[in-house]
Order: sequence, then C-alpha cells, then structure tokens
Amino acid sequence: MTDHLTDGLAYFGRFGVTEELLRAAFDRAMSTGADWAELFFQHRITHHLGLEDGAVNRAYGSVTLGVGVRVIKGDQTGYAYTEELTRQAVCDAAATAAVIANEAAGRGPSSFEIKRLPERYPVQRPWPGVGVAEKMPILSRLNELAFARSPDIVKVRVGFADADGAVLVVDSDGRMSFDRQPMAQMTLSCTAERGSQRESCSANLAGREGFEFFTDTRVQKLAGDAVDRTLFLFDATVAPAGAMPVVLAAGSSGILLHEAIGHGMEADFNRKGISVYSDKLGQPIANPDVTIVDDGTEVGARGAINVDDEGVEGQRTVLVEQGVLRTYMHDRISAKHYGVEPTGNGRRESFRSPPLPRMRSTYMLPGRHDPAEIIQSVKRGVYASSFTNGQVMIGAGDFTFYIKTGYLIEDGKLTRPIKDTNIIGNGPECLRKTDMVGTDFEFDDGGWTCGKDGQSVPVSLGMPTVRVAEITVGGVNQ
Amino acid sequence: MSTAPDELLKAAHAAAAQAKAHGADEAKVVVSRSRGVDLEWRDGRLERVQERTRRSLSVEIFVDGRYSASSTNDLRPEALEAFFADAVAMTRLLEPDPHRCLPDPAAYAGRADVDLDLVDAGYGDVTSAERRQVVEALEALVREADAALPIVSVSTEVSDTWSQSARVHTNGFEGAREGTSFVLGAMVTVKDADGRRPMGWDYTVRRHRGDLDTPARVAKTAAERARAQLGAGKLPTGRYPIVLVNRAVPRLLGAFLGPLNGPALQQKQSLWDGRLGEAIASPLMTIYDEPHRVRGLGSALWDGDGFATHRRPLIEAGVLKTFFIDHYYGLKMGVAPTGGDTHNLAWTLGNRDLDGLVADVGEGVLIDRFLGGNSNGTSGEFSFGCAGRVIRGGQLAEPVAEVNLAGNLDGIWKQLVAVGNDPDPNSGAACPSVVLAGVQLSGQ
Repeated sequence: MTDHLTDGLAYFGRFGVTEELLRAAFDRAMSTGADWAELFFQHRITHHLGLEDGAVNRAYGSVTLGVGVRVIKGDQTGYAYTEELTRQAVCDAAATAAVIANEAAGRGPSSFEIKRLPERYPVQRPWPGVGVAEKMPILSRLNELAFARSPDIVKVRVGFADADGAVLVVDSDGRMSFDRQPMAQMTLSCTAERGSQRESCSANLAGREGFEFFTDTRVQKLAGDAVDRTLFLFDATVAPAGAMPVVLAAGSSGILLHEAIGHGMEADFNRKGISVYSDKLGQPIANPDVTIVDDGTEVGARGAINVDDEGVEGQRTVLVEQGVLRTYMHDRISAKHYGVEPTGNGRRESFRSPPLPRMRSTYMLPGRHDPAEIIQSVKRGVYASSFTNGQVMIGAGDFTFYIKTGYLIEDGKLTRPIKDTNIIGNGPECLRKTDMVGTDFEFDDGGWTCGKDGQSVPVSLGMPTVRVAEITVGGVNQ
Repeated sequence: MSTAPDELLKAAHAAAAQAKAHGADEAKVVVSRSRGVDLEWRDGRLERVQERTRRSLSVEIFVDGRYSASSTNDLRPEALEAFFADAVAMTRLLEPDPHRCLPDPAAYAGRADVDLDLVDAGYGDVTSAERRQVVEALEALVREADAALPIVSVSTEVSDTWSQSARVHTNGFEGAREGTSFVLGAMVTVKDADGRRPMGWDYTVRRHRGDLDTPARVAKTAAERARAQLGAGKLPTGRYPIVLVNRAVPRLLGAFLGPLNGPALQQKQSLWDGRLGEAIASPLMTIYDEPHRVRGLGSALWDGDGFATHRRPLIEAGVLKTFFIDHYYGLKMGVAPTGGDTHNLAWTLGNRDLDGLVADVGEGVLIDRFLGGNSNGTSGEFSFGCAGRVIRGGQLAEPVAEVNLAGNLDGIWKQLVAVGNDPDPNSGAACPSVVLAGVQLSGQ
C-alpha cells in the first residue's frame, strides 16, 4: 500500500522519515510484548509579530520538530521522545518507551493505511506563504482604530500570532493519520487615562484559519471590544462579597462549563476514581434544560480537530443530555478501560507529552428562557459579561472563574458596573443550581488555552445566557 | 564544576558567527540541552514512565536597528542555514526600534566568583530500578501514614532533570551553566461523606537528591492534608485575620510584585508607577533578591541581558526599593536598568512557627491553598479562590472550602502583622507563613 502513504510520509520524508524507519521503530516498541504502540511526529512553525508604541518592531519565531513514542500495556504508559528523526534515535526512543512492558516480543504492523480525514479548517491563505510585510498593516490598523476610538487611550499593544503545524500519527495497528493544523490569533491590549486614574484591558480573537481570518470586520470588532472594555473599567468597582444569584452572559461564560464540569468529565480522572463525577454515568446531574456538548467539529474554531493526537477522528460528544450525564471524554486508554469507543478527545501539547483526555469546543445548547426574562428574575445579584480565566480542583469539584467586566443586578435591572471579581463554586452543586437557560446561544471566538498536567491545548467555549441561583461572589463589602 | 559546558559554548559561538554571516549586526545566542526521567506510580502499579531529552537553539538578532528572536530544535546543518536566513530576512522587514541594541560590554563585568553548587554529581547514578522502588515505597508510606483515611487513590512520582546551557553575545559576553533538580511527590485522593473527593498532596524539590525531604515526611504531609479537607464546609462572608501558609504566599506576593516590571511600567499598566521609595507594605516586610544562594532553585550568576546578578533589596521595612527593569525597557524609559528578573527571595523572618502564628491569631482563618482568580496590576484589585481551616481558640478547627479572598494590592501587605520563621524550602521564593490582620473573605 506504499502508494497510499501519500501526504504524511511525503511531508516528514524531508526529515528522513520512511516506511522502513516506521517498521524498525515499531519492532522495537513492540519488542517487550506491549498491547499497542504509537509514533507521533510533529513539525510546527510559529510566528508572532508585536506592535508597541506605534511600531511593529519585534518578531518572534519558533521551529519545533520531533517524534513521541508511546507504548501501552493495559493502563500503563511508557513514553519517550526524540528531537532527532534518524532511524537510530527513533529506535532508541522506542526501546526506552518499551520498558513499560516486560513480556515476550511482539511485532509491529506489516503495512500502513492512511486514514481519510474530514476538513474542519479549510484554509485559503496557508501561513507558509504569508510574509511579515502582509501582516504588518493589520497590526498598525488595530493601533489606529484603538486610538481613534477614544481620546483617553494612551498606550496600545498588538500581538499577531500564527502557527502551521503538521502531525503524523501512526500506530501499531497500521493506522496512519496526517493533519495540517493552522492557528491564527490576534490580541489587543490598551491603557487609558482619565485624570490620575488608569485602566487597562485586552481582548483577543482566534481560530483555526489562515491569513483570511484577519478580515476587517474582525479587526474592527477586536478594536471595539478592547477599547470599550478598558473604558468600562473607569466606572466599575469590585462586586459585593457573598453568595448570590449570578447571570452569565452568552458567549465566553462557557468557561463555567469548562471548569465546573468539563475537566471532571475527562475520563482519566474517572478511571482513577478521583473525579467528583466518578460513578455518576447515567445519573441526573443538572436541570433538564441543560445539555452540554464537547465538539471537535465546529469548522474553523480554535478547538476544532480533524483528528485527535492519537489518530481518532474529531467528533461531537454529548456529555450531558437534558440534565443526565451521558458519557465521559475518552482517549484510547480510558475507552479501553471502560469498554467504549474513544471519543476523539486524546490531545497533547506536543510530541514531548503523551495524550490525555482533553476538551475541544465545550458549550451548552440554548434553552427556553428569554435572556431579558432571566435578568428580570434576579432581585439582587451579579451579571457577568466577560471573563479572563478559570480553574478547578477535579476531586473536590471546587472551581473558580474570573469576571473581568459585568454589572450588579438590582430589582431585575443591570445597574452599577463591576470588574475584577472571582467567582467560586462547586461543580455538581453549580450545575444543579443552573436553573434558567437562555435562547440566545453564542459561540465565543476568543483565544482560550486549557492547561492540564503542564500541557496546554487550544480550546473554544460557548454558552447561552444562564442563571445560577446561588454561587459565591468573591468581591468586597464596603 | 565540570567542564562539559565547553561543547555548548562552542556551539553557541558557532551559531552567533552564523547569524552574523547571514547579515546580523549583532546577536545573542543561547544553546541548551536537558535530560530527564519521570515515573508515576498509582495504586500498586507503574502508571507512566517518561524520558525527556531536549535541545534547542535560540537567537536574538539585531540588524539595521531592527530586532527579532527565534528558536529551533531542528539542528540539522541545512535546517540551521534556512533558520538563520529566514530570521534575518524577517527582521529586516520590521520597523526600526532605536532602543534595541546589546548592552555596553562593560556592563557584563563583575560576575560573582561563587560556586552555586547547582549540580548533583551523582545525577547519572540513579537507576530505573531505584526510581521504581522509591515511588512504590512512597505509596506504602502514604497508606501507612493514616490507616483510617478513606482513600480512593494514591499516586506518587519521582522526577529528575539535568540541564545545561550556554549564552554568547557577539559583543563579548559568554557564560555556561549547568544544573540538576529532583522531585518527589505524593497525591492522595479521599472520598468524603458527601461524595466529594478532595486531594491532599505534598512534594519536595531540590538541586541535590540527598537534600530532598524524606519520603516518610512527604507521605505524612500528603495524608494529613487529605484528612484535613474531609467534611469541609463554607465560611460565613466577612473580614477575618488570616494566617497564610508559606506555600500559598507566592500567589499573593507574585500579584503584588508583578507590576514592578519594566513592560508594565512603560505601558502605564502598573499601580506602582512613581511609587519608588514609598511604603507600600507593612514595616515587617523586608525581602531581598538573593541570586547567589548555594543550591538555590532560582540561583544564577547572570541574567538575560548578561548583567552580573547581585543581592539587592526589593522591599525594605515596607518601602519599595527597586523596579525590575531590563536593558531594553531601561533605554526606552530613560532610566538605568535594574535587572529584569528576580531569582531566589530572602525574607527577614520572624520567630514564630506556623503553630505559633495560629495560636497568636486566636480567632480567624488559615488559608493554605489558592484556586484560580486573578489581579489587575493597573488599578490593583485582586480576587483569588482559596481554602483552609477555621482558627478557633488559637487552634485549627473545621476545614472550609469555596472561600474567596479579595482586596487591593495597594494596601493588602500593609495588613501584615506577623512573619513566620518557616521559609518554604521547595520554592526559590522561600516565603514564610504570614499573618494579615483583616481581609475580606467571601463564602456563604
């Protein structure tokens, strides 16, 4: 089937990767009786351009190349990587990873078959053909738009980042997947001054696209978001402290799902029995209005994947259906443990780490409440508009997310602007208390990055307006 | 110290010459490599064995008054040719920046002549059988530490790393460094009556393997921390005196010191702008940067500009003594650089241990861990999730979770009323436990 090993081997062939090298490496990887082995080749080129004080005067580039060899025996993992793609180096790494098993020798695959993948990030202008000169005017335009939007703006910084990644995943069953993974991102950070008061804020946009991502509509939206959010802060104060109802705006409040429930439903934690959602499959864990999806198929989304980092096709996985916990997010190890099909959630930061069950685009489907009605239902509480970050303790289920901007709700109306307030709650409790779900679903196109075990992967979020009946608002009481 | 870094220095010089050959006026090069092994053990079996071997070349290029920085780990000769050619070509297209240049070579002088002792000569002697033995034994120690603990899972790990790097600037700077580090850790997840599964953990990290805390101590601490979380409730919202445990202090201190850096000041995103020489903390706070600590986790003889590092005060009796300004932002701001990085911190310690601080506080809350949150370095607001124990009658009482600590960076450290005598040996920041007189905690 050599003819069909097309793109993947053609791409990595320039670094010396051949079918013969693959066979030799798999023979070593399987030499101690492993159940399964995998080679993950990666080549990734990133560029970053920066504007500060009016000039695009800094550029950063990186080239990353290597292969990770993973050998599995039961739930056990042997892992080694090399940054040198010679036959000797790859075979040595395979032999190192193989120490996890210690039985009679097995054999590698006799042939390889390339898998056809879907196309979730069709690119019109691939990054390798886009030079610095084409990118620079976009940074300058953002700078001009920001200053033009308000005389209070005194400092502007712009970041423009792109990546072109290639991965080739080959396993001991002979499956082979090759994927090109683009990423585009821009960030605008502003400082404004009014008298002696200063405020700063930033906004960003990201997607798996080529240069065409940077449309003028997006550029204008980013400038508007960053400047408006910065100016908003002048009149805002920290929220009050204590437990109260919180209404989350549609869009980036999907961070609530990511932290409150997403991580706890990654199957590795459940396989180990250390998640607060362990033993909850098939049980009601939320209001029937709540349906939560983790989805790798959203075209062009930062969290989209054609294939995960162990060769399983990216797919749409319903985690919670009308309040009932349907499935965890699986990689191959956990899927085998639970006797189910992997869900395409096996992701990794790079060839330097083994994959783990990870989220892609995580969102809640729209519900039946008018967003205005949700706000009106609250006597005294907080309305959260934009967010910066969140975190969770998987076992205890306690999680936080940080509100950058929002409002106080008094007698059903948005009143005083608020800022810089953390929210802390417990995942299962928060899901039970999520009692109104809006009709106004919004997918967020921010540059979200999720961290787990020291590995970062790009993700996306989405959410309709929702009400959490009670949660702790980490503000300050005057 | 061993002379093995010579090979890397040669590679760095060669790379600097190559950058110039491709048209760079000046260049800064760092070549590095590292090796490491991680073993994770869980519930009676090896969970994961991982070997890491890394290498990389990074270069900052100055050409025609323009600047870029690039890195690669594809070190094949033909790949490097393309790498330098692309990097120089990319730089030429940028707008010029009059403040990008190498420091005057005179500024490289004064490097301290100290042996930081960052390398454990026995690094290579550890066998995989020994590592396996350690993680297996550690699990047993955790289970023995508290036989009545409702354990769901115990996982233990060992990790060791050796790394080496060489830095060369085309105007005369060169330096090579080498270091090792060793980690031993344990995590124990327990099942609470309400179904929650809190985790207690402990770890120890050192430059030399023989300096690590004993496995028995790591096991005992992890088990104690797990037990201490059982039955956690919520705290009534209010203002409380708090004891902040040493390992949690860097979160609040880091938010406080963060806005002292050059980029934040130059971009008008620092609440400390113009505050040098002012009292921004309690007179009890005195903190030095101590880059030459022997076997220190953050020790270094030079910084990223090639400047020799020195012991220097950051906060002295509450007064702000320095900003963190590197060569580039110094030129941009028209001030002398002060060094853009901190290394190890050294607090002026008090004379009470943690139990003593708790006893002195009498009634309050002990905070021993943070969870998420953020801070606004421009206007000073911060809000962090946290958890810990209620302090009643000078003793630790019931655990509390889902707590949040909020306030303003400008003022929070003026609440400091006592400093402990227990600097955390597992962190370069070496923070002691501290007492803050009255802070806003949110709960139910």
